Amino acid sequence: MLRVSEHEAQLTENNIVKEELHLLVSQNLVYKLIGSVLVKQDLEEAKGTVGKRLENINGEIKQYETQMKEMEKRSERHREVLAGLQHEYQKSQGKVPVKV
Amino acid sequence: MAERNESKKLHPQEVSRFREEQVKVVTGCQDQIQHWKKVQSDYEALQQRLSTLPDKLLYDIMVPFGPLAFMPGKLVHTNEVTVLLGDNWFAKCSAKQASNLVEHRKKHVKNALDDLHKVVKNFEARVGFTEDLEKRSSEKGDFVDIIEEVENEEILTKGKRTAHKPCSRPKNQDVFDTNFEGGEGDPKATSGILTEEELWARLDELETQEELLDQKDRMSYNADTNGDDTTSSSSEEENEHPSGNLPCLLGEEGWPPVTQEDSRLITCQVNGNSRHHSDDEDDERSCVPTIYFTHTVEPKRVRINTGRNTTLKFSERKEEAKRKRKNSNGNGHSVPGLTKIKMPADLYRLFVDVVNGELVPRKSILKSRSREDSMCSDTSESSDDRRGFCRNLSHDESTHSDTSEGVLQEEENSPSKPLPLPGLFEAFSGTVVEKDPTLPSLIPHLTIVSPALPTIPERKAEEVVLQVQKEPSKRMSKFKAARMQQQI
Repeated sequence: MLRVSEHEAQLTENNIVKEELHLLVSQNLVYKLIGSVLVKQDLEEAKGTVGKRLENINGEIKQYETQMKEMEKRSERHREVLAGLQHEYQKSQGKVPVKV
Repeated sequence: MAERNESKKLHPQEVSRFREEQVKVVTGCQDQIQHWKKVQSDYEALQQRLSTLPDKLLYDIMVPFGPLAFMPGKLVHTNEVTVLLGDNWFAKCSAKQASNLVEHRKKHVKNALDDLHKVVKNFEARVGFTEDLEKRSSEKGDFVDIIEEVENEEILTKGKRTAHKPCSRPKNQDVFDTNFEGGEGDPKATSGILTEEELWARLDELETQEELLDQKDRMSYNADTNGDDTTSSSSEEENEHPSGNLPCLLGEEGWPPVTQEDSRLITCQVNGNSRHHSDDEDDERSCVPTIYFTHTVEPKRVRINTGRNTTLKFSERKEEAKRKRKNSNGNGHSVPGLTKIKMPADLYRLFVDVVNGELVPRKSILKSRSREDSMCSDTSESSDDRRGFCRNLSHDESTHSDTSEGVLQEEENSPSKPLPLPGLFEAFSGTVVEKDPTLPSLIPHLTIVSPALPTIPERKAEEVVLQVQKEPSKRMSKFKAARMQQQI
């Protein structure tokens, strides 16, 4: 869940970056911060990079969503099993005092 | 009252809790709104700064040197701004371009603010509702939360549904308590009053009784009781044959039985009917007796298909004659639409359809096999012979017939209900043939003046006819005997 939210935040951020890159002109110098160094980047290259990053984020988000669904299904199954066991336990509890 | 108070206590607690949650949501939204508003204000300030920055080429400023020191310095390249685009991306652009970027970001902020405002509004409304509810529940006692406790037992019992008990009794049980099962083997009559096996046993008993009674009647036909018995027995015998017919018709028509009371004819019929009704498939035992009542009018030969090989005979003329006779006797309450059934013969009248102005007998609803033994043509001839014979008697006993009708009317306590059974009609057609060959003498006297009552030819009609011809004088119908006694 947390990962999903983080990815969603990155998604929005990258979307904004992409849009702003579109606003920029090629004259503008684009730098990428790698560690503590600003590395000069080409605008088009930057755009591509950001686009790919976005796709990656989307894919990860989808994976996380499917994982979440599976986990939910598993949890439901476990809940059902648990409920059944509890029911049986109660039945046995009910029977035992009757027998006694 | 305690429960009510408790419910009241719970109620405000729940409401307050609900309200608290809603308030939390509202406050959270409010915080976010504040945050975004601040961001928005910052962006606006930035924009303003960007707009004024390129005015000068150089600015003398105090440059921060560490956290506690400043140094005088100059701000150059006022138009060159490095903008953080996000996700470690930087872009060097002019002031104007930067302001454009800022403007773009402001749009995003504005969208977020709008969404937050909407959420806040919704939750504020909810909070208002809950507050109102809380006030109502706490202050006024009129509003009470209706709480219905669901017991676990109820939930469990849902799985075990008790099936509806099968209809053990037929709907029409006005007078008779017998089971009118259809000839087709109605499933709903499974748990009837008498099971099939029991019915068969009962039938056997009745047959033996009949034979005994017939023998008695032969010996002493003057006795009233015996006469009644014989008539009843004869009727029973006669009815045995159409027993197959009766149940079928009964089951389908659902006719209420004739009252088993003083009217002798009706008792005969009823006894026979009860037995037959109780016997669903008494086809095997069906003999072919026909009871001839002296006071019955000989029916015209109109064949009614009551089975595969049998036909009833119906006569409209006789029907009218009968009706006139009835009316003349003062029985004016016979509604034309509702043919009052005072005699078994009346049954036939009901079950004759009027087609093309003529009375066409209804097709029998009985099983075909119920009439296997019956021979249509042969028996009809024999029945005609019998009828011819009986006609002579009927003329003699015309007065008796009237009296019999009167007797019937007197005796019949409760209004007879329509007996929609052609099979019954058959029992009381113009001729009734005794099953027992030893009782032929009763036959001529048993003829009833039944107008247009068709007779279903019986199997043993020929034998009976012969026997009837042999001993006409000895036998007297029970009805006749009763009438004579009454006259006396």
